[in-house]
Amino acid sequence: MRRRFAAFLVAIGLILLVVLPAIWQLTRPESVFGDVAAIEESLRDTDSAVLPAETPDEPFEPAPGETGGEGAEGETSDTTAPVDPVPGGLPVGLRIGSIDVDAPIAPFGVDRRTGDMDVPNNVTEVAWYKFGPRPGENGSAVLAAHVDLASQGPGVFFDLNTLEPGDRVTVEYEGGEELVFRVTARITYEKTELPLDVIFSREGPTVLTLITCGGGFNRQVQSYDSNVVVYAVPDDGSSVPDQS
Amino acid sequence: MRKLTMLVAVLALAIIPAAGAVAQSGEGQVTVVHGVPDLLVDVYVNGDLTIEDFEYGDVAGPLTLPAGSYDLEVYPADADPASSDPALAGSTDLPAGAYATIAAYLQEGGAPTLGVFVENNSNTDAGNARVTARHLADFGAVDVLANDGAVFEGVTNGLGGDADVPADTYNIKITAAGDANTVAFDADLPLAEGTNTIAYAIGSVAGGSFQVVTQTITGLQSAPGGVPTGTGGLSGTGTPAWLIAAMGLGLVALASGSALARREN
Repeated sequence: MRRRFAAFLVAIGLILLVVLPAIWQLTRPESVFGDVAAIEESLRDTDSAVLPAETPDEPFEPAPGETGGEGAEGETSDTTAPVDPVPGGLPVGLRIGSIDVDAPIAPFGVDRRTGDMDVPNNVTEVAWYKFGPRPGENGSAVLAAHVDLASQGPGVFFDLNTLEPGDRVTVEYEGGEELVFRVTARITYEKTELPLDVIFSREGPTVLTLITCGGGFNRQVQSYDSNVVVYAVPDDGSSVPDQS
Repeated sequence: MRKLTMLVAVLALAIIPAAGAVAQSGEGQVTVVHGVPDLLVDVYVNGDLTIEDFEYGDVAGPLTLPAGSYDLEVYPADADPASSDPALAGSTDLPAGAYATIAAYLQEGGAPTLGVFVENNSNTDAGNARVTARHLADFGAVDVLANDGAVFEGVTNGLGGDADVPADTYNIKITAAGDANTVAFDADLPLAEGTNTIAYAIGSVAGGSFQVVTQTITGLQSAPGGVPTGTGGLSGTGTPAWLIAAMGLGLVALASGSALARREN
C-alpha cells in the first residue's frame, strides 16, 4: 500500500516536473512568426539623405499625360499598395475577433516628459499615433494599447502575443467605414532593440502595426523589458486562410 | 505650378555644363523667394535663365542642386543679359546637405538686395514642429508672437531665427518691436509635426505691399523613444508563476515519493 503510494507520488512528481512544462512549451504561441526582416526592410527609410520637401501653397500638378489615379497603380511593384481609397476621418474603433478585442481608438502624440509615445491612462482604449499615417495609408500606422496596468489589471492588448498568421483585424473610421487587415507577422523585441524608425515610418508599404508590452517584468520599476509587435497588411481576401 | 516643372527642365540643362566644375560631393536644396514689390524678373543661375517671369510673393522650389558655387543674377523680365546690367547679383556656395533660401528683398528704407539664408535642417524631436521667421520687409525691428507669447524679439531687417515648438496651430502675430498695438500680421498658422514652416515677411509696410509668404519643409520628424504599455506584470510571455509553482510541487512529490520507497526497503 505504502509502496503504491510512493510510486503514485513519483508519477505525480514526474508529470508536474517534466510533462507539464513540456506541454506548456509545445502549446504556447511561438514568440515570432512571419517575415519580420522583410517588413523592417521595406519600412526603413532608404533615402533619408535627401529630405522630401514641398511648398504647401502650390500643390504639384502632374505633368500632362501623367494624370495620376488609375495610371499610378503601375508603380507599386512588390510593395503593398496603399488602400485606395482610404476611408476618411480618424480611426475610432478596433476589432480583433480571435482575441475578443472590441475597443475605441483615440489619437495620441508624444509624452513631452519622456519623449515616448503617449498612451491612454486606462486599459480599455487603443492609442493611434496621430503624427504618423492613418491605418491604410503608406507607412506604418501605429496602434498601441496596454497589456495591463498595475492599478487596473489586464488591458485590451493582453492577448496580442497569441495572434496568429491570417487573423483579421478590423479598423473602423469616423464616418462608419471599415478596413480589414490580415496579420502577417508577430515578434517580441527587447525594448532596447525596438526598431523605432521602422515602427514609426511614414513611408513605404501600408502596414498596420499593433504594439504592447511583454517579455520579462521588472517589479522594482513596474516595467516589461520587451514590446510585442504585430504587423498586419490590408486584407486582399487571399493567401493565408483565416485561422481565428 | 506648370512654371516649376518647366523650371526644373531648364535647370537640368543649366547644371550639366557646370557639373564638371562642381565637386560631386552631394546635393543641397535651394528655395528662391521674390520679395521685391512691383518687379517682374528673370533669374539667371550661372548665366543660364532659371526662373522666368518671377513675380513678387512667389516662392520657387525647393530645387535639388549639386553642391557647389552658384552665381545669381536678377534681371527685369525679358531684359537681354548680354546688353543690360542685372538689377541684383550675387554668388553663393551651396554645401552638400544644406537647405538654403535665396531671397530678393527690400532692406529697411526700400533698397532691394539679394540675401542667402541657411535653414536649420536638423531633425525635430518627436511631437515638435519648427517655425522659422525671416524679416525681409521694409520695416523697423519687429517682435514675433505665438499665441501672444514672444518667440523672437527685436528682429531687424535681414535677420530671423528658428524655434522648435509642440506641433499645433498657433496664432502668429508680427508687431513693431515693443509695440503690441502696431500689428503688421495676425493669422493662425498650423505647424505640423516634423516640419519646418518658414515665414518670410516681405514688401513695404508703408507702401502697403507688406505680406507674409510661407513655405513648409517636411520630413524632419523623429520617432518617439518608446512605447510604454504595461505596468502590471500579469502578461504570460515569460515562464508563468503557476508553472513554477507546479514544478516545485512536482519536485516535492518526487522527493517524498522516493524517500517513502527507500524507507520501504
